[in-house]
Amino acid sequence: MIKLTGLTKRYPGRSVTANAVDGIDLEIPEGKLVTLLGPSGCGKTTTLRLIAGLERADRGVIEIGGQVVSDPEHRIFVGTHRRPIGIVFQSYAIWPHMTVIDNVMFPLRVNRPRPKKSAARETAMQALDLVGLADFAERPAPAQSGGQQQRVALARALVREPKVLLLDEPLSNLDKGLRGRMRDEIRAVQQRLGITTVFVTHDQDEALAVSDEVVVMNGGHVIEQGLPQAIYTYPQDMFTARFLGVSNSLDGVVDSVGPDGATVTLGSRSMVCRQSGTAQPGERVSVFMRPESFRLSRRQHSEDAWPGTIEFSIYHGDCWDYHVRLDDDLLKVRVYQEKVGLAHGDSIFLEPDPDSAIVISGDKQEAEQTPEEASPADAVARTR
Amino acid sequence: MTLLADKQVPAPAARSRQRRSWRELLQPRYITLAVAALVVAYLALVPIGTMLYASLRSEFLGTTPGTWTFQHYADTFSAPGFGQLVLNSFLYAGATAVVCTVFGFGLAWLVVRTNTPAKGFARIAALVPLIVPGILNTVAWSLLLSPQRGPVNVLLRQGHLPIFNVYSLVGMVFVQSMHVIPVAYLMGTAAFTSMDSSLEEAALASGSSPVRTFRSITLRMARPAILSAILLMFIQTISTFEVPQLIGVPAHHYVFVSRIYSALQNFPPDYGTVGVLGVFVLVVACAGLLLAQRLGRASAVQTITGKGFRAQPQDLGRWRWAGLAAFLLFFLVAVALPIAMLIWSSLLPGYEQPSLSALRHLTFSNFEEIVRRPGLAQSVKNSLITAFASGFIVTVLTAFIAYITVKTKIRGRGLLDGLATVPIAVPSVVMGVGVLYWYLAAPLPVHLYGSLSILIVAFVTITLPYGMRYLAPGMSQIKDELEEAATASGASWLQAFWRVFIPLLMPSLLAAFLYTVIVSFREISAAIFLYTSGTEVVSVQVYDLYSNGSYPVVAALGVVMVVFLSVLAGAVRLISRRFGIKSG
Ligand SMILES: Nc1ncnc2c1ncn2[C@@H]1O[C@H](COP(=O)(O)OP(=O)(O)OP(=O)(O)O)[C@@H](O)[C@H]1O
Ligand SMILES: [Mg+2]
Repeated sequence: MIKLTGLTKRYPGRSVTANAVDGIDLEIPEGKLVTLLGPSGCGKTTTLRLIAGLERADRGVIEIGGQVVSDPEHRIFVGTHRRPIGIVFQSYAIWPHMTVIDNVMFPLRVNRPRPKKSAARETAMQALDLVGLADFAERPAPAQSGGQQQRVALARALVREPKVLLLDEPLSNLDKGLRGRMRDEIRAVQQRLGITTVFVTHDQDEALAVSDEVVVMNGGHVIEQGLPQAIYTYPQDMFTARFLGVSNSLDGVVDSVGPDGATVTLGSRSMVCRQSGTAQPGERVSVFMRPESFRLSRRQHSEDAWPGTIEFSIYHGDCWDYHVRLDDDLLKVRVYQEKVGLAHGDSIFLEPDPDSAIVISGDKQEAEQTPEEASPADAVARTR
Repeated sequence: MTLLADKQVPAPAARSRQRRSWRELLQPRYITLAVAALVVAYLALVPIGTMLYASLRSEFLGTTPGTWTFQHYADTFSAPGFGQLVLNSFLYAGATAVVCTVFGFGLAWLVVRTNTPAKGFARIAALVPLIVPGILNTVAWSLLLSPQRGPVNVLLRQGHLPIFNVYSLVGMVFVQSMHVIPVAYLMGTAAFTSMDSSLEEAALASGSSPVRTFRSITLRMARPAILSAILLMFIQTISTFEVPQLIGVPAHHYVFVSRIYSALQNFPPDYGTVGVLGVFVLVVACAGLLLAQRLGRASAVQTITGKGFRAQPQDLGRWRWAGLAAFLLFFLVAVALPIAMLIWSSLLPGYEQPSLSALRHLTFSNFEEIVRRPGLAQSVKNSLITAFASGFIVTVLTAFIAYITVKTKIRGRGLLDGLATVPIAVPSVVMGVGVLYWYLAAPLPVHLYGSLSILIVAFVTITLPYGMRYLAPGMSQIKDELEEAATASGASWLQAFWRVFIPLLMPSLLAAFLYTVIVSFREISAAIFLYTSGTEVVSVQVYDLYSNGSYPVVAALGVVMVVFLSVLAGAVRLISRRFGIKSG
């Protein structure tokens, strides 16, 4: 188990307001894989390095397995080499002057109790076996491909059976196909060993696929923490919603709350949202909708459908993306299984899905800035 | 440059291909290449060849025709004391190399890999070898450490401590180290900067203690760089003149360089023996350089830099103040002390111990002396002429060579590149002797010996590789597209060349020029063999005056040199920083 309380870190030379990690409280349960997910520069790596003891915190307590390893207030700092951790760096950091097996054996040979060389070798071979590299043991380390190096790094991190495994974007140096395979492999090994793992990534698909829990971070803060499916389907925060690609948001006021959910008035339109959380009548809210959660048709099927016009369309092969104009708002809508596309200026009707609308209290203007860069399609849409 | 651009001409038949290849060789681009190669080969190879020739002839520069013989080799190698000479030389150069590398890499590690607050000092310390020529360093230290009157020894004696006699092997190693440590420091900086700190962090995270990590990861990773630095320091030390002559000779500790010098001072000069010794030093230097290059290549293979590279400084905790203290001490000893000594001596009419009472005698008369004494003013003029002329010639020549080797794909350009780097492997003493021999013996219509031209020829050859070091990377930074974009905008080739290529290259050209001026201006190891009465350069004049005991004037001349070189070095730095020039 890892427990962080009020963890704060500012790099020397940075301004007082620019904490890389700004008061993080976090609990990582025993045996679980937790991902730290967030945009570049949000402090994921710094958090990981603080847990590893490669950086010193300014404030806050770090506990690993019940032992306090860092607490500046009480002048406690356990050096990296005395913490029960294994770490895989983004660059893998395989020692180029050693063979594969020497790399993996190194942690055993520098720790107490120091096993005999043959015993150390045996353990190292088991670790290599675990990652499917047993045949490569005697090769020089630099002669390995990216995927192999990553597995050597993983074996090296696991070989002394640490309590905690720390992974800093371990897949970002791999090509796309390999990335998926290695991701599943890491997850399989982690579950087999039941080892508490912190996985840093800025890729939401990766985070959703491997984690028991996802921690969303931004600007040195934890935004929210939860099960992957919960975070994905019903994010509690606007930042999370935007970061996870929920691109449409409309401002409105809750009209009434009934057993079927809340009725929200959005300007001249209104819709029913089944999952409205704690929204109260009269509250100002933002309603977030994924591009997939609309039904788009040329004719009006129901009273609830909104009339609009196609602003522009993008063909992806398996789907179409439409930018639909509804008076002042521009919505992104994704439609699967349609052979013939719509074109600029076509009139259509949009029917929002009441089950997948996400209601978040407050105005979207108050939300932090969207982390995603504007897509080229947006740019074109604006210039039209 | 269409003339030099590579055009693949498909050859239909073998026969016509052969004929065409002959015609191809007569194309202007090959002629250009050939001319450049000939010039460089003449500069780099002919002096060495002449020296080799002299070592193999029974008679050199004599009136009677000689024969081919190994006699000189046999004589030199079997002469009593030759073993001692080799031992002395290797001991001196080896000890210096090790000391310099240990200190240089230690300081580099402190600056690059730890949070020691010494970055500013480090930057200044790295400039020192540029602005304090070896000859001045030697002079300053022999004044500081002279057994009787050197202020350091006076202090030691007052404290009832044993004095440090500079005229000893240890003294030689110390003085030469003071000059070369900054060079080793620069090499260490390069090695440690390119090392990914996550390699060390991975070891720490594996449970390895910081000390163990330093030993089995940091040092092990830096090993090729350390070994190659030792070799390069060794070569530099074994081939320079000032310390062996000014400190080694009074200590009766003869090494190759001082032996070569004394053999040429004898009458009649022993050309054969000198040739043999020169060849010997050359072989040692070449072997060392080859080995160093092999090591360098091995370490290049070893550095795998992936994404996420960071050179994270290590937190030394309270020890970082110890690191700072080490740097302060080094700065004080290697930089401040010699320069302070030069300034102090230059302001007194005769040498006096630093004291308050001596302050009354402060005077600028020594500086006036530089202007007044005809020989001195002449030497300053000679130095300026030779340094600037060499700088200009080298810049133009290397610009040409770099263009051919970097921007074109002519066959044979690798050879040219190789030729231009040959002078790196030739110790300056050997180059001095070689140039001397060639221009004494060559049946040339004009006699260069006795004129400044012979010095310029030597300086050009010696600084050729330095010019390449600035211009080759400078040129490869300029993408072909920039020139092509100009051509595509309607500029003729010449316009594109003058208005796009040259302006972009200007900072590199300027940096190369100033740097070669600096190197030529400080040069003594070759110049000492090539000057004649009237063509002394400043560094030679410093040596002469010092040998005659005119310490105050030497010091004044030294101060002028340091100021001049500081200005040039500052300009190089400014240009490099401003325009982001990487020198190889
Ligand atoms: N060594 C350092 N010195 C100064 N500032 C740093 C240092 N390392 C990181 N920072 C700053 O701290 C903040 C957090 O950085 P961190 O590396 O933790 O981000 P990250 O979430 O891992 O980002 P990425 O996804 O790009 O790796 C950033 O603003 C970064 O610029
Ligand atoms: Mg990171």
